[in-house]
Amino acid sequence: MDQVISMDNLDQLNDEQLDVLERRIAGKYMGIVPWGAVVWGLGHFLVFIALFPLVLMDVLPLWVAFPIATLNIMASYLPSHEAQHNIIAGRGKPLRWLNELVGHVSTIPIVYPYRVLRATHMEHHKHANHPEFDCDIDVHAKSRSDFFVQAIKGRQPGSDRNAAYGKTLDRIGQSELIMDGVLFQAAYLIIMSTMAWTGHAIEAAFLWWIPRMIGETHLLYYLAWAPHHPGAEQGRYRDTRAFKSRLGNVVSMGMQFHIIHHLYPRIPLALTPAAYREMRPILDKRGCDLGDL
Amino acid sequence: MEHFFKLLLSPMAFAIGFLWPLATQSLVGLSYVDAGMPGILAGAAVAIPFGILAQLRGSWIWIK
Repeated sequence: MDQVISMDNLDQLNDEQLDVLERRIAGKYMGIVPWGAVVWGLGHFLVFIALFPLVLMDVLPLWVAFPIATLNIMASYLPSHEAQHNIIAGRGKPLRWLNELVGHVSTIPIVYPYRVLRATHMEHHKHANHPEFDCDIDVHAKSRSDFFVQAIKGRQPGSDRNAAYGKTLDRIGQSELIMDGVLFQAAYLIIMSTMAWTGHAIEAAFLWWIPRMIGETHLLYYLAWAPHHPGAEQGRYRDTRAFKSRLGNVVSMGMQFHIIHHLYPRIPLALTPAAYREMRPILDKRGCDLGDL
Repeated sequence: MEHFFKLLLSPMAFAIGFLWPLATQSLVGLSYVDAGMPGILAGAAVAIPFGILAQLRGSWIWIK
């Protein structure tokens, strides 16, 4: 049977055999600790925190710190994303503490609590593109320009976007996690207001407020909008697409290969390009939208 | 406790807590107004209307 199931005779394989082949490829990339993501998550957090005293003590000019803070926040989500999927270490494993540490710490700059992200992100995976159950469905927009308009609207206090994760937590019976979000937001506002009323409002704006807006928009664009566009279909092979980013794989944070992540969420981000290249003929045969990638 | 957090996380609290001093320090820094009471009043004149708009309409910039 093994001899029959190979990439050389893809056209002769049925769905079940394609599945065996696909899983065999995916298995090669799973179970590897992504040390790069660990260093990335903790490193960006530490640099971000260090910017505040460095700027307030006039060691670092604000115009230098601003792009660094923006970069830190843009990069802050994905290490936590690895942790949300237990990629660094699963439950009961010796490095589980590190998985949870990275998960909790790396998203502090973007002011999202890990437990909320994990719970809601699992729902996104279960119900990608579902009009009611996908908590990221309201990020969908029919074009790139519409996405940016939508992103601005989504940042307004009365936007449904603000309530999307809370509704999901209610639906799955984990509404107690809403308090994590409230405490995160409260801590953020207290820090910002304290800095502002002690004469450091401009520093607070350029170290956290504006970088966070840029970081969130960048994150939503590449993680939620681009790989799921146009967001009209559901199903394992149709709810996520591959796409070629004009700004390259680093700026798009590896999301060109997000289809691999939705198919096999335990493959570390850094390995999704290699897994994609190996799996591409199968995905093509499955009828996936692979764009120009 | 719920009321406290609702108040703390309200747009008006953000306007008073952050946008007001930000507007004040920006206007003073750009030399549009003098530091002290003129700056504080000018900052309030910029930030508080945004806070009222966001609080009542649910949008900082009218569109929603």
